Amino acid sequence: MKSYPVGTLERKTVILGWKLIAPTVIIISLLILYPAVYNIYLSFFKVSLNPAIPNQFVGLKNYFGILSDPAFWRSFWVTIAFTLITVIGSMLLGLGVAIMMNRNFYGRSAVRALILLPYVTPLISSVFAWKYIFLPLNGPLVQFLASLHLMNPGTDIINNPNNAFIVVSFFNIWRNFPFVYLMILAKLQSIPSSLYEAAEMDGANWWRKFMSVTLPELYFVIASVALLRGIWNFYKFDEVYLLSKFAGTLPIYIYDTAFAGIPHQGIAASAATILFAVMIGLITVYVKRVLKW
Amino acid sequence: MMGIFKEQKTFDIIEIMFYTYGENIFHNYKIKEKIPKGNIKIKEGLNMKKSLLVIAILTLAITGLLAQSITFWTTETESNRMQRIQALATIFQAKTGINVKVVPVQENDLFSRLAASKAAGTLPDIMEAGIEPLVLLGTEGLMDTKLNAKVINDFGDIYTGVKRLLYAGNGKYYGIPFHAWVQGIWYHKNWFSKKGLAAPISWYNILEAAKELNDPAKGIYGIVLPKKADNYSEQVFTEVALANGARPFDAAGNVTLDTPQMIQAFKFYKELGKYSMPGFTTVLDALKGYLSGKAAMIFYSTYIMDDIAVQDVQESRIHSFDPNLVKNTGFANKMINVDTSSYGQVVGLGILSSSKNKTAAEKFAKFLMTGDNYIYWLHMAPGGMNPTRKSIATNPQFLNNPVLKRYGAQKIANIIAALDNIERFDFYKGKVVTQMSKLSANFVIGKAINLMFANDWTPEQTAKWAQKEALRVLGK
Repeated sequence: MKSYPVGTLERKTVILGWKLIAPTVIIISLLILYPAVYNIYLSFFKVSLNPAIPNQFVGLKNYFGILSDPAFWRSFWVTIAFTLITVIGSMLLGLGVAIMMNRNFYGRSAVRALILLPYVTPLISSVFAWKYIFLPLNGPLVQFLASLHLMNPGTDIINNPNNAFIVVSFFNIWRNFPFVYLMILAKLQSIPSSLYEAAEMDGANWWRKFMSVTLPELYFVIASVALLRGIWNFYKFDEVYLLSKFAGTLPIYIYDTAFAGIPHQGIAASAATILFAVMIGLITVYVKRVLKW
Repeated sequence: MMGIFKEQKTFDIIEIMFYTYGENIFHNYKIKEKIPKGNIKIKEGLNMKKSLLVIAILTLAITGLLAQSITFWTTETESNRMQRIQALATIFQAKTGINVKVVPVQENDLFSRLAASKAAGTLPDIMEAGIEPLVLLGTEGLMDTKLNAKVINDFGDIYTGVKRLLYAGNGKYYGIPFHAWVQGIWYHKNWFSKKGLAAPISWYNILEAAKELNDPAKGIYGIVLPKKADNYSEQVFTEVALANGARPFDAAGNVTLDTPQMIQAFKFYKELGKYSMPGFTTVLDALKGYLSGKAAMIFYSTYIMDDIAVQDVQESRIHSFDPNLVKNTGFANKMINVDTSSYGQVVGLGILSSSKNKTAAEKFAKFLMTGDNYIYWLHMAPGGMNPTRKSIATNPQFLNNPVLKRYGAQKIANIIAALDNIERFDFYKGKVVTQMSKLSANFVIGKAINLMFANDWTPEQTAKWAQKEALRVLGK
């Protein structure tokens, strides 16, 4: 171990370093560490709403309750499926659109801006817009499809509980592909054209160029964006809940179990801790295997 | 220095009052028919100016007193309603020196906000909310049931029908009934008389009318029935089930969603669904369908009254206005099959047991439910908010409102009379059924209805699913 003699320049540098990062460390501890630790603490209690009644320690009861609930496991697998489908879907769509937008054509900047719309529009308005265009009888899309005899105008696609999972997944892919597109496009533009020229001299066709130049260059961007989207979609609550009460993902399960009626904060805290542990596990594996950090 | 500051504050209060009253009391509804003579607006304005002067003097007198403060949570979050509540709080402060902090809270966020404010030590002293949250909080020991009962007894004229829904046993109450609405079938009376149909009160007559008036080829439907998994479906189904004597719980608290009576109720509901507008329709579809003349009947609360009567409001919904709609609209305030049922909701005031300023909270509750203050509050939503005190319901000042006048004293009296017969799933044999709130929060009944129509389930299948789901949700 390295030791620092008193008063040396090196020691002063170290102290200065600590001083400089201290505000960040303090803020992160207050805003992230404290709530996370407090959440774990709460998960061992039956939390009372009444200030006159103290919280009651229940040990691991909240955890056992959740882990032995078949509905929890059903939601867990639904969430895994939802995350996989939406991440893969939005990655493929985002990649395809990014490659198209990387070419030069007239009006490209306008189209590029338009593509971002689903991502930047406030969620509530896009949910309502979707509900509106699919409205039975009066929805514009329904009227259009009905005029082509492609569907019965009385069909209610969005509000049919059997369509919940498909509608929610489809909406999520549509809403989030622009984010993927934006990240990939940024990287695409930094790939030196000399690489493509070299590949052409070797006689590579477009597919070969895509597989041997574009994809390897994009690897880390795609992997990082997939990780981010995976984390976000695993915890996705707002749009899923706004679109349907039947989608049955984990955040909805937690909401229904813990916050319907009198809030059971202890149960909610333990569910959050379980999800946190699962996520940390998945992320660690992913970071080591895929991102190779 | 201090004196100048205080005077300045007093002026602010008066300014606020002029502003808020100016915005609202003189609010002129555009009604195509003429308002009867004797201009109320000016009279109201003069009275208001006089009382403002009195208030101003009182304010000056009490500014020397120590300022007390209470927090009031309200679920009336719309900005024009907040403005009125703020004005009432300002007058209250001017009269008593007690400062009221008004906090708007969405009813859906109520519990999570409570959990957060408990942790932060900022629980309200008094809150306005529907009976479900008040009862739930009461069972958690968060309501001062004794003090709530004292306020009810001090008034002495609160309708029995509404106060029993908040009864906590032993003469105590989870909250003070504040205002209430009733649900029923609103129907195009003229269409009914043209076909010689009876008012849609009995199951038989409702179904007959729906069948008879349904004409999808012309874009007209017998009814717009809620078919989505939400509260509206549950509210409508409640009325249907209770008319057949069906309840989700028996007196012992067992789940009874698969009884023969309940299956019959699902059967009637599904049958009625055949003559409903296509799609998994919900509350807005119903409202718009009725106003635009696409539906013969809809289930709706008395909140629809200004949508029917007021041009501005109706145009904001459907971009057109039918001046004859008030005249041609009928309201069936009850439903009959083997039983008679009438569904409604009561919104109450609850003083919290954790309050450190209960005397002030009690004063504020009484202030809100007395005389002009009470009427000013109720006129926020004429027809939707009905008084729970007999003396106010019969007060001519209460009926002195453009919307209420259009319906006439008799119709309003009928609506208020229905308050006394409100039946609900969460109230049975003199007892509040707290388990029901868990089913409502998980939309068990709404989901059952949604699935019944989506999968074309038989009433038996639907009842079986609802029973199983209810047991799961309740952890039984």
